[in-house]
Amino acid sequence: MHALQSLAEALISLCTPMSLLHVAWATLLGIFVGSLPGLTATMGVALLTTLTYTLDKDTAILVLICMYVGAIYGGSRSAILLNIPGTPASAATALDGFPLAQRGEAANAMALATAGSALGTLVGIVMLVLLAPPLAEVALNFGSFEFFWLALFGIVISGQLTGGGSPLKGYIAGLLGLMVAMIGSEGIHAHVRFNLGLRDLNGGVALIPAMVGAFGFAEVLTVMWRPKGELLDTKKSATSALPRMLDLWRYKFTIVRSGIIGTIVGIIPGVGEDIGAWSSYAVAKKLSKHPELYGKGSTEGLTAAETGNSAVVPGALIPALTLAVPGSAPAAVLIAALFIHGIRPGPMIMIEQPDFIYSIAAMLVLATLAIAVFGLSLTRLFIKILKVPRELLMPVVFTLCVIGPYALTQRVFDIWVMLFFGLIGFVLRRMDYPMAPLVLGIILGTLLDKSLRRGLTLSNGDLSPFFTRPISASFAAIIFLSIVLSIPAVRRALFRIIPGLPGPVKPSVTEEQS
Amino acid sequence: MLVDSRTADRLTGMVLLMLGIAMLAGGYTMDRLEIRQIHPASIPGLVPMGLGLAMIICSVLLLVSTASTTDTSLPEDSAVSEDSEKTQPGSFKNLALTIVLCLAYAGGLLGKMPFAVATGIFIFMFSAVFSWPEKSVPVRARIKPLLLIALFAVVFAVGISTLFQYGFLVRLP
Repeated sequence: MHALQSLAEALISLCTPMSLLHVAWATLLGIFVGSLPGLTATMGVALLTTLTYTLDKDTAILVLICMYVGAIYGGSRSAILLNIPGTPASAATALDGFPLAQRGEAANAMALATAGSALGTLVGIVMLVLLAPPLAEVALNFGSFEFFWLALFGIVISGQLTGGGSPLKGYIAGLLGLMVAMIGSEGIHAHVRFNLGLRDLNGGVALIPAMVGAFGFAEVLTVMWRPKGELLDTKKSATSALPRMLDLWRYKFTIVRSGIIGTIVGIIPGVGEDIGAWSSYAVAKKLSKHPELYGKGSTEGLTAAETGNSAVVPGALIPALTLAVPGSAPAAVLIAALFIHGIRPGPMIMIEQPDFIYSIAAMLVLATLAIAVFGLSLTRLFIKILKVPRELLMPVVFTLCVIGPYALTQRVFDIWVMLFFGLIGFVLRRMDYPMAPLVLGIILGTLLDKSLRRGLTLSNGDLSPFFTRPISASFAAIIFLSIVLSIPAVRRALFRIIPGLPGPVKPSVTEEQS
Repeated sequence: MLVDSRTADRLTGMVLLMLGIAMLAGGYTMDRLEIRQIHPASIPGLVPMGLGLAMIICSVLLLVSTASTTDTSLPEDSAVSEDSEKTQPGSFKNLALTIVLCLAYAGGLLGKMPFAVATGIFIFMFSAVFSWPEKSVPVRARIKPLLLIALFAVVFAVGISTLFQYGFLVRLP
C-alpha cells in the first residue's frame, strides 16, 4: 500500500507541463530511434546521455527513461513494416508482425504491438515497485564476498544467455570487458595497470566512449555493410487504429504471463530485451491453442513478443537501481548516466533516496502513456520516418558518436577510444560475439577486482568465506551449475536423461545490443 | 561473417590465447607494492592473473572446438537461425568507404578546422558518396540531389555545433 501511495505521489509531482513536454519529445525521439534499423535503444540512451549534461538530474533521468522505453517499443514499427527489427528486441515481433502486414493488417499489428508494449511495461512497473525495495534491503547485507560473486554472476549469466549457441563466446566477451576494466588506476592502492605507456589511460577506459563506440560506431558500420530493406506498400493498411479490445481480452493471460517473464528476464544481469521477447514468445507458443499459426501472422505471438520485450525495461532497472548491476545494455548506460548526474545506484539507494525508485516507476508510467498515445495516433508519421535514407542518417549519427563522448571530458583521446571500440565491436559482432557481456565486464570489472582483493584481505587470504557465507555459497553454486550446464556434452547427457527439459532460448538475430 | 566462421574462430582463438598469456604475465610481473607493506592478497596483479588464466582456458576451448567442428558456418549446436542477418551478404565496398570516411573525419578533419566546417564536409561527403547516382543519370539530374545533400549537411553541421557549443558550453575540437 505504501508503495502504491509513494508511486502516486511521485506521479503527481511529475505531472508538470515542463515534465510532460520532456516526456513527449523524449519518448517520440525514442520511438524514432527505435524504429530506424541501425539506431538502437542502447545507442539512443548513450547519445542522449551526452545531451543531458546541462539538465537537472531529475529531468535528465526522465528523458533517458523515456528514450529507453520509446526505443524498445519503436523497434516494432520496422519489424512489422520492413521485416527488419528496429532494435534486436523486436526480432521476435518481426516473425508474426511482418506476415500480418503482408496480409494488409499492418495497422492492427501495430496497434496490438502498442497495447502489448504498454501493458508489458505496466506489469514490469508493478514488479519494480514491489521487488526493488526488498531487494535493496537484502543487498544491504552484501559484503565484499557477495559482491565478488554478484559481479561474476552477472558476467557468467549474461555471457551464457546472450552467447546464443556458443556460451563460450559470451564468456570470452565478458572476459574481454573485464580485461578492459583492469586498465588504469586500480581502486585499492591506486596502482596504475596496463596503461601501455599512455598517460591518457591512467584513469582507465571511460565507459561512455567505449559504449558509444561498441554500440554506435559499430552500428553505423553494420548498417552501411548490410543490404537495404524494402518498405512494404502500406498505403491501405497503415492507417491509425485502436487495438481490437476483443483480441486484447482474449490474450489477457498471455499478456500477464509475458509481462512476468519479461520482467524476470530483465532482472537477470546483462541479458536484455531480446531474450525477454524470445522467452515470452517461446512460452506463449508452447501454451497456445494455435501454435501452428506462430510465425505466419499470429496476433497472439506478436502480443507475447512485444509484451515480453517491453516488460524487460522495468525489470532491468530493478538490479540496476538496487545493486548497480544492469539488467540490460541500455540499463548499463543508464547507470553511467546516473553516476554522471550524481546519483549512486546500489543497496544504499533506499536509505539515501528512498523515493527515487518510485520516481523512476512514475517516469516509466509516463513514458508508457506516451508510447500508447503516440503509437496509436502517429502511424503515418512513423512510416515517413522509416523512409529516411541511411545515407543521410548515418553521418549525423557518427557525428554524434564523435562529439558525445568528447563533450563529457573534452579529451580528443576519448574519440580514439570510441573509434577503437567501434571497430573492435563490429568485428566481434560479425563473429557472433555478444556485446552485452563485454559492456557488463567493463562496468563490473572494478567491483569484481575490488571485492575479491578486499574480501581476501578481510579473511587474511582465506578463500573459505567466499564459499561458506549463505548468499556467497548460493551465488557460487549457481555460477558453477551455469558453467557446467553450458558444456554441450553435459547438456546432451542431461537431455537424454530428462527428455522434457527445455532447450536453450533462441537467441536474437542481432543480439549485440538492444 | 567476414571470413568463414571456423577460420575466424581459429584466428580469434590464437589472438585471445596470446592476450591471455600477456595478461597472465603482466599480472605476475606487476609491482607487488611490498614497500608499502600491503597484504599479499590485495596485490594489483591478482585479478589480471586470474583473467589471463581464464582467457587462456577459453581460447584453448575455442581452438579445440574449431578443430572438432565439421560445419564451416556455425557451431555444432548453434541455434542461430538461417535467416540470421549474419548469414546475409554485406558490402565490403560500403564498409571500407564508411571506415575511411569516418576515420578521415575523426582523425583528419577534426581539430584542423572549425568543428562546423569539418562536420559539414563529412556529412556532405558521406551522403554524396553513398547517394551518388548511376552513370546513366544525366549530369543535370545529379545536381539537384547534391544541392539538397549540401543543404542537409550545412543545417546539421551548424545545428550540432550550435547545440554543443552554446547549449552545452562544450569547447569543440
